[in-house]
Amino acid sequence: MERGQRPKLSSQSLVCTGCGCLCDDIQVEIEGDHITKLENACAKSGALLYSSDSPERRATCLIRGQRASLEQAVEEAAHLLSKARKRLIFGLDNSTLEAQAAAIKLAQKLGGVIDDASSFSFGTLVQRILSGDLPTCSLSEVKDNADLLLYWGSDPPHTHPRHLSKFSYYAYTDYTEAGWFPKVTLSCVEVRDTELGLLCRPAFKLQPGGDKDFITDILMEGKNGTEESKKFVELIEKSRFCVIFCGSGLSYSLDNDFDLFNEMVHKLGQRTRIAVIPMAMEFNLRGFNQSLYKQTGYVNQVSFAAGTSHGSEFSFLEQVRKRLADCVLIISSDPFSNLPPSLMRNLQGTSIICLDHFSTPTTNTAGVVIPTALPGLECSGSAIRMDGDEIALVGLKKSEYPTEEEVLKQLAERI
Amino acid sequence: MMSTPKEGIPLVIVTYQDIYQWVAKQRDGWGDAYQQHSAVVRLSPADLKRLGLDDGALVELKSQAGSVVVKAKSDPICQQEGTGYMPASLYSNRLASYNPSVSRLPNLKRIEVRAVPTEKDVTPLPDLLLNFENSLPASDDPKLT
Repeated sequence: MERGQRPKLSSQSLVCTGCGCLCDDIQVEIEGDHITKLENACAKSGALLYSSDSPERRATCLIRGQRASLEQAVEEAAHLLSKARKRLIFGLDNSTLEAQAAAIKLAQKLGGVIDDASSFSFGTLVQRILSGDLPTCSLSEVKDNADLLLYWGSDPPHTHPRHLSKFSYYAYTDYTEAGWFPKVTLSCVEVRDTELGLLCRPAFKLQPGGDKDFITDILMEGKNGTEESKKFVELIEKSRFCVIFCGSGLSYSLDNDFDLFNEMVHKLGQRTRIAVIPMAMEFNLRGFNQSLYKQTGYVNQVSFAAGTSHGSEFSFLEQVRKRLADCVLIISSDPFSNLPPSLMRNLQGTSIICLDHFSTPTTNTAGVVIPTALPGLECSGSAIRMDGDEIALVGLKKSEYPTEEEVLKQLAERI
Repeated sequence: MMSTPKEGIPLVIVTYQDIYQWVAKQRDGWGDAYQQHSAVVRLSPADLKRLGLDDGALVELKSQAGSVVVKAKSDPICQQEGTGYMPASLYSNRLASYNPSVSRLPNLKRIEVRAVPTEKDVTPLPDLLLNFENSLPASDDPKLT
């Protein structure tokens, strides 16, 4: 290229992999190797995409803290996995379906355990949806037909910034510029005052951990129930089609036991249509759950040590607490940021291999770090949105980093 | 100023997601901006008064798992006495624990702590990062320092 000549601009659509919304209308302009302009991107999307250009934020190939080549890092990772006796593969919620499939194959080949963060967030809920225990619907159905949108333990302005504008409250078919007089009802159940709560009529506020009691009151249907629970039942009964968006606040408050919630949905569902959608925060958590479910009948917590087994003893939490694995492969996940250090310090002395797009406290702790391409921007693939729809990801930039799928396949070949 | 018991007051910490903190972390890593958005507990004005603290003063939160020093912010819309709200972060994680005989999930949404006024500084981020010497000396990765 001649001096002073600007490289050609390209403006294309991109699917953002910043959260479970998988917004497919992000307009990106790329000049040379750098993003110069974004349109339709939320704050999360902008931070994710622009930081992909920042060498300071990207992960680096490391072996025990020393810079290494990709070949050396993959070789060392294969060596550690080969010599280990009990391997644990964890993460993959920010990976493509193709990488997830490669990881499941690797776990099978190694006779290892595989789990993801849904184990301590949405797994139980997704399992019930996939098995048909809980009714669900697509996000396009929400904006076409739903007339009651109920966010429970979820604060989308902070977790899924475009959820309301692209899929729910501001996106319904009849929405006009006179949107201050909406034809759908927006409501929430929360333990604190949120920005979303200010929009909701009504907002139900509970004591922290009070969701179980609230659901119990709802099931009693006013016999001894509180005024709030009666109001909740009336609100549902008045609606034609209610969609409950479940956040991690609900999972934690119920301690991952959705029996009562299930009973409530079925009971109220006899009077009106109800659908449940998990507000998965990672872009392909639902994809991991569905991929593993198709192969094993379980969404997470699976061991391939002797055939296929499932149970809480194969959860990441229990594997770490009991120090059951001697080699842990962590893929696009940051448990050292997201889980208590009082638990994570149990991994001291365990071989940790980490594949990630960015530098994190987990890559900082890993013995082997392999940097990978960012799905949706630097590599293609597919993913399952929070509502179960499959979305194609088209990589727009050439990347110096390998895809996770490529690295996982290389590991499988060398073991 | 009201007298505050030396042992402080009990609080239940509830964590939440904060987009400003997420963006700071994604753009700049675990640095000053992340700390600014993370090292904070939002309390009801009444609890702040019980602690004898001004808005923005430092408070030490102590649980069975550990302790951190963070800023105590008065939150006029947080009227629930006895509850403190913290963005989910390395700070709240230091206080949290996982005990399956008590609950199936870590207690990230219900951490029992004592809040005590302090003259200590905000807990530095490096103190919150685990450093396994046999896998990676912290000094070798400049991106997290």
